[in-house]
Amino acid sequence: MERRDFLKISAVSGATAALDACGKPERQLIRFIPETDLIPGIAVWRPSVCTMCPAGCGTTVRVMEGDAEVTRKGQLGLIKMGLAKKIEGNPDHPVNHGKLCPRGQAALQVTYHPDRIRHPLKRSGARGSGKFQEISWEDGIHELVTRLAALSSGQKTAALAIVAKPMRGQRRVLLESLAHALGAPPPVFFQFFEEAVLRQANALSFGRAQLPTLDLAQSNYVLSFGADFLGTWNSPVAQNVGYGEMRQGRPNLRGKLIQVEARMSETGANADQWIPARPGTEGLVAMALARVILTENLRPASAAGGAGELIPGWAEGLKDYAPEKVEQSTGVPAATIAHIARDLAANSPAVVIMGGAPLAQTNGLFNALAVNALNALLGNVEQPGGIYFTPAPPGMAPAQGLPIQPASAYAALTALLGLSTPTTLAPASPPQVLLLDEANPVYALPDPRVKDAIEKIPFVVSFGGFLDETSIFADLILPDHSPLESWIDDVPESGVTQAVVSLAPPTMKPLHHTRATPDVLLEVAHQLGGRVSKALPWKNYEEMLQAAWGPLQKEKGSVQASSADEFWSKIRKQGGWWSSEVAPAAQGRPASAGGPPVSYKEAQFSGNAKDFPFLFMPYESQQFLDGSLAHLPWLQEMPEVLSSVMWGSWVEINPQTADRLGIQQGDLIEVSSTRGTLKASALVFPGIAPDVIGMPAGQGHQQFTRYATGRGANPFKILDPVFEPATGSLGWAATRVKISRVGKGKLALFGGSLRESPREFGKR
Amino acid sequence: MARQWGMVIDLDRCTGCEACVVACHAENNIATVGEDQAARGRAMHWIRVERYWEGNFPNARVIYRPVLCQQCGDAPCEAVCPTYASYHNPEGLNAQIYNRCIGTRYCGNACPYNVRFFNFYNPVWDKPLNLQLNPDVSVRSVGIMEKCTFCIQRIKVAEFRAQAEKRPLKDEEFNPACVQSCPPKAMVFGDLDDPASEVSRLAQSNRATRLLEEVGTLPNVIYLRSVS
Repeated sequence: MERRDFLKISAVSGATAALDACGKPERQLIRFIPETDLIPGIAVWRPSVCTMCPAGCGTTVRVMEGDAEVTRKGQLGLIKMGLAKKIEGNPDHPVNHGKLCPRGQAALQVTYHPDRIRHPLKRSGARGSGKFQEISWEDGIHELVTRLAALSSGQKTAALAIVAKPMRGQRRVLLESLAHALGAPPPVFFQFFEEAVLRQANALSFGRAQLPTLDLAQSNYVLSFGADFLGTWNSPVAQNVGYGEMRQGRPNLRGKLIQVEARMSETGANADQWIPARPGTEGLVAMALARVILTENLRPASAAGGAGELIPGWAEGLKDYAPEKVEQSTGVPAATIAHIARDLAANSPAVVIMGGAPLAQTNGLFNALAVNALNALLGNVEQPGGIYFTPAPPGMAPAQGLPIQPASAYAALTALLGLSTPTTLAPASPPQVLLLDEANPVYALPDPRVKDAIEKIPFVVSFGGFLDETSIFADLILPDHSPLESWIDDVPESGVTQAVVSLAPPTMKPLHHTRATPDVLLEVAHQLGGRVSKALPWKNYEEMLQAAWGPLQKEKGSVQASSADEFWSKIRKQGGWWSSEVAPAAQGRPASAGGPPVSYKEAQFSGNAKDFPFLFMPYESQQFLDGSLAHLPWLQEMPEVLSSVMWGSWVEINPQTADRLGIQQGDLIEVSSTRGTLKASALVFPGIAPDVIGMPAGQGHQQFTRYATGRGANPFKILDPVFEPATGSLGWAATRVKISRVGKGKLALFGGSLRESPREFGKR
Repeated sequence: MARQWGMVIDLDRCTGCEACVVACHAENNIATVGEDQAARGRAMHWIRVERYWEGNFPNARVIYRPVLCQQCGDAPCEAVCPTYASYHNPEGLNAQIYNRCIGTRYCGNACPYNVRFFNFYNPVWDKPLNLQLNPDVSVRSVGIMEKCTFCIQRIKVAEFRAQAEKRPLKDEEFNPACVQSCPPKAMVFGDLDDPASEVSRLAQSNRATRLLEEVGTLPNVIYLRSVS
């Protein structure tokens, strides 16, 4: 407790006389009347939805009565309330089957974070100085309404920009409706590791602009190109559940995993065979595999349908991609390719996956299309043990056809801010008002123009619960509840073969003086009146959710009810609705594919190979994903699995390279690209190619709570502006760097060293 | 009837995702110690995922192994404790009685698995992070050794409930937090003395091994070797 708070309470409660004897001023706090009636010591479990990544897992939250220090009507005191104590997977949920990853479990610390913004704030110092003063909700909402009304009366509504983290469900609909009703451009849903290239490729090959669902549990053979599907990619919990079954869930049948990537990921470490192909040549490897299958007549070329037609030379048997021809450029021996190709054809159902770095190359689209064609050739699309596309719930349009151009959030964001883009998209006029919903582009984007553009926007409003590199520029902060204190809905894009709506009410009362952002926006719409309130007529978010998802009562699904009220009460208890129709056929069909063929072009890297001899490969962190979770102490102290590093960041160097350059583990290394320089400690890492430098994303925050600020380095900041041309996505794995030792660094390792004695492991 | 609690960990299923690590922190009120203390080897993880590198590039490979207290049948930590704070409970757990512990750290030195942790400071939770604490588990103070308990608080709750309902405890009716969270279902918990339990069935596997079996600690955690 701060001294100032302490004095205030003493004055209020008149307990000053007792304090000398007590020494525990908390005991002097007044008690408010409890708002919940829980039995002390008895836990109840309430459903919720995980919002830590876009997978949309269902959770169940353990709630127990406890004493919380809260402020009510300006006075600090104690209240008995239901407090969330632990988050586990919802056992009934079809995505995660009662399981949850470490990041989802750490969501508890978002609610109880000491640096959460506790009440509305208005900027009181210079932009970015972090000086704010507390204001009332009425004043905050009034200010936002006034600004938005001024925009629409001045006919300058195009000058409103909305930037949010990726979300689906009704919160997305709400933001889109608000933008539309105000005549503003559509909101941009931004995160660094975006999947625009894969969605584009799936749209071309299968007619679905959607991430694939992997039926690993029934696969006999999994070939993954760079996809860390057990760590961070796509729907990791669902994929972990399936992986366990693939390995040991079937008597006498153990599925195999082959991983192709230049830097060993958490998933690559589980592989039976790890193949470090040269970055940017993954599409060539996939085509060489297809070539072997075609020439040896293991599958007919026609099996691939439209997905094959997108690859030039497919019908002619892919002459240019003979394993011997591509051996030189890919670094994968022709014999290895032939062997895997035969295994793929022999061990049906076999599935091929691509994710992560191979898509973040200038030829990423080709790489993805090559894998799609290979999958189609193997007969894996919408077959058990293959890939599926999760159907959209009734009443929601499926992700059919091509995504709205440009597909990449990077391009859309730069255009929205009035900056030139890597695509043909024309920049909008610079916005006058920016609404930020938890997106942090200033941290995530290497482009320094983004920060300058946001600084120049006359009025910035942030709804996020924390001050970060972007929200520090806000003029007005209207802090959201934490996810555990909110109504949440989500529509999983993948990870499940039936239509799912994850939906749950708050699990606990709000701890602080925050308000649910959807409720605030509905209030704003109401006050704006006219077209906006007509588009968003609901009193609160629950009403909006009920209007959207109530009609599911008529559908065949997990909730049976005779009345709308009964349906709603059951859906609240279950944590969502899921269709009883599992794996309906023909969500995406190779035959429905279209578009001109996309030919292979060699991947382009920035920086010349002589001055910048290493390829820089950032990757999504097991602990913090793209950095949005770096504020949680549990994740900071969780040893990253391949390095055992806690609370820090590091660069991974191949042992031979380290030897050659005289670099030892723990040395401070300077990594420079043509764009910038960073410093981090060296980790000698056996699972990385000699000419590749790996680095986890997530640290290097300049402003993100006491636990993350000023810790480690941010790899995004030295990335060169290299793009995948079709979507305008950042080619984040295409920057060349040079490295040098500059001193002694520090690494907090939980394991003694990377080379524990293999003796104790037995006979492997 | 006395039980023998045990665990089987299938290394062929384990993916190194570390869901168990955070589950354990959340369930057992394990404090985070911060970077400086962590660098001095004072981070407390009752369960960790070890990784073993073998071979050199391009033939490098990794084997993960989650390591927690092995709940030894003949535990080196118990014999050395001058105050009987480390004690063998009737259900085969190596229990740690915190208010007997005087912090000699003999047990930590004797343990071949390095799974006992010493509180060098009083734990601190920056308010209101203290609200995350599980009321079923006591918070340890400075000078105390702490370790994995197989989530004894969950065992007790399940036993009381079964008793109240006048029925025997069912196999896999409850699980320690790590087992509950494990996405690829690599971990199975139960009574090794019950021949019908899943854990004793798996313990018969021809892939079954025990960690550092040769030192004679008779561990009750059984690992199923990875296949390839």
